[in-house]
Amino acid sequence: MEPETTLQPLKNIVPAAQNNINAKFILLDKGRVTLEGQYKTCLALVADETAAVHFQLWGDECDVFEPGDIILLTNGIFSYSRNNLVLRAGKRGKAEKVGEFTLAFVETPNLSEIRWAPDPNDSKKYVQQAVVSPHSRIFVPPR
Amino acid sequence: MVEKLIKRSIHEAENPIEITLREAFCVLEPKLRPPFPLTIPTQEEYLNLNRAILYGILCEPHLAKVHIKHLHGVITDGYEYFTSILVKIVIELYGKLVDSVKRQLIWVTHEMVDVSAVGYDGLLVALLRQIVGGDFGEENLWLCFEMVNLFSSKWVCLLEEAPLVLSGALYVFLRLLADHCRVMNIPKIESLRKMEIGFCVRMLREKFSLCLRIGRDLVRLLQDLVHVPEFRSIWKDLLYNPSAFKVDGFVDVSKIYGTRTSRWYFLLRVTPEMESQLRFLLTRVQFGSQKRYQVWFARKFLAVPERKAVVIDIVRFICCAHHPSNEIIHSDIVPRWAVIGWLLKYDLKHYVEANLKLALFYDWLFFDEKVDNVMNIEPAILLMVHSIPRYIDITHSLLEFLFILLDNYDLERKEIVSQGISTALHTLVSKGVVQSLDVLTSCNMLSPIFKERLGKLLSDWQFQHRKEFQTTNIPRGVIPSFSSSPESQTSA
Repeated sequence: MEPETTLQPLKNIVPAAQNNINAKFILLDKGRVTLEGQYKTCLALVADETAAVHFQLWGDECDVFEPGDIILLTNGIFSYSRNNLVLRAGKRGKAEKVGEFTLAFVETPNLSEIRWAPDPNDSKKYVQQAVVSPHSRIFVPPR
Repeated sequence: MVEKLIKRSIHEAENPIEITLREAFCVLEPKLRPPFPLTIPTQEEYLNLNRAILYGILCEPHLAKVHIKHLHGVITDGYEYFTSILVKIVIELYGKLVDSVKRQLIWVTHEMVDVSAVGYDGLLVALLRQIVGGDFGEENLWLCFEMVNLFSSKWVCLLEEAPLVLSGALYVFLRLLADHCRVMNIPKIESLRKMEIGFCVRMLREKFSLCLRIGRDLVRLLQDLVHVPEFRSIWKDLLYNPSAFKVDGFVDVSKIYGTRTSRWYFLLRVTPEMESQLRFLLTRVQFGSQKRYQVWFARKFLAVPERKAVVIDIVRFICCAHHPSNEIIHSDIVPRWAVIGWLLKYDLKHYVEANLKLALFYDWLFFDEKVDNVMNIEPAILLMVHSIPRYIDITHSLLEFLFILLDNYDLERKEIVSQGISTALHTLVSKGVVQSLDVLTSCNMLSPIFKERLGKLLSDWQFQHRKEFQTTNIPRGVIPSFSSSPESQTSA
């Protein structure tokens, strides 16, 4: 039996080279599918009541998740992938659809549109330095 | 090998209900074959046994008869718990059930009716709600057929044990027939229509007093079917020969107008999923942030052209079955009028758009303060008012429709409709839903004819109820400025 993991609000996630993100959020928008080598990949916008972030879908995740889906991410990773700061399941994580529609969200702040810098007191950690954009520049909020 | 309950796609989490049922089945499987143990189970063992047998019935059709015999032998609570899980499965999982499981579900429902299981009425209602309006796919029409077949074949016992559910079924099939009678070239629809018409006509001719329980929306539904030969004579009798129904006290159709339809009926034509999404939109989403939710809702429920007709039922649901608390009304949550305005902007067939507006105004036509709720009429006035000036065409088209109804809805009972609409307007002002009708009557973007008629409706009402106002302070702005009735002199 897996122990219940506590979920983090998206506003609290920090880039790290660890599979340490457990969160529940709703998929707002999906971009075009491209190929990275032989694997399908696709960028998406996800959000919860506290913040939004870009999520990288990988492989069949691209086909299966649709806007409006509520996703539970366990052991996900929030890090730089080809200069994009994205949340993803990664090799050790898992993204699962647990529902649809009934989750409130905000599109600002967007954690992927923040410039991070190493913590002066602990170079292994990151802190927020500046806001690049209040919301996603790729998935602009509908008017 | 254990059979599956639901169709689950990759990356979809397992469903808690399925897990519970399957686990119970796996643990108890050896005990589900004769000879059945005779020991008396504890409460927890009893619940698990119910879960295991239910899973077996749904997933092992070839052993269903063995399982049901077992069930009959061990029941000590009138099948209450067993039926409650069935209801949960229908509400939360119906759309995902494997086809063979759906067949078994109907089979076991018949069994539950036969043993008068506690709560089977809720099971029938849950199944009725899963019939999707405007969906002419094979699976949905199959469910339609199975339900009308069940109601027809279990007629006698349902009349005695669950008459209200029968009236609910009438509401559902009358509504479905309006869609079913408009399509051609769908295989099997002819025989389905026959069964639906047969059931409805039987209810109306043999159990009219039960049909009256529906209230005024019965007329709204029947009206859509007057072009169907089998309903023409019923409609004629309703209007011109009410004694044909042989119900004491029923001497005129106006009696039905005066009966407000209970909100329960409006849930019948909105699936639980639709209901949950609409209620979420109207309780948790900020006004201004509803765009994405609307796109998802439309993509899921309104994408197929024939399915758009469900907007009629959604409007009735919003007006009558979802009344926000005062707290929500005064917050920045999406208001009901905004959701209705969004639905109105859809590309709808003429008859759907007309029926949507009728659904929006229906309780206006016969509004009686003793019987009706101002919350049912609030969305319409607020939509008209808030559409000024940016969406003035909506205000205009709604006002126009209101007057079309006033002039044409029931030519022989125009007084009743006029009274209803005037009372609705008066109540909206007196209860503070709008401060006054000035925003409409003084709007220079609206046709002068509408403005004059609006003003007259309100002043006529005031005049008729003048005794009430002789010693009462009339709040400023209630009476339009160009009214010439004597009472206006006393306004503050």
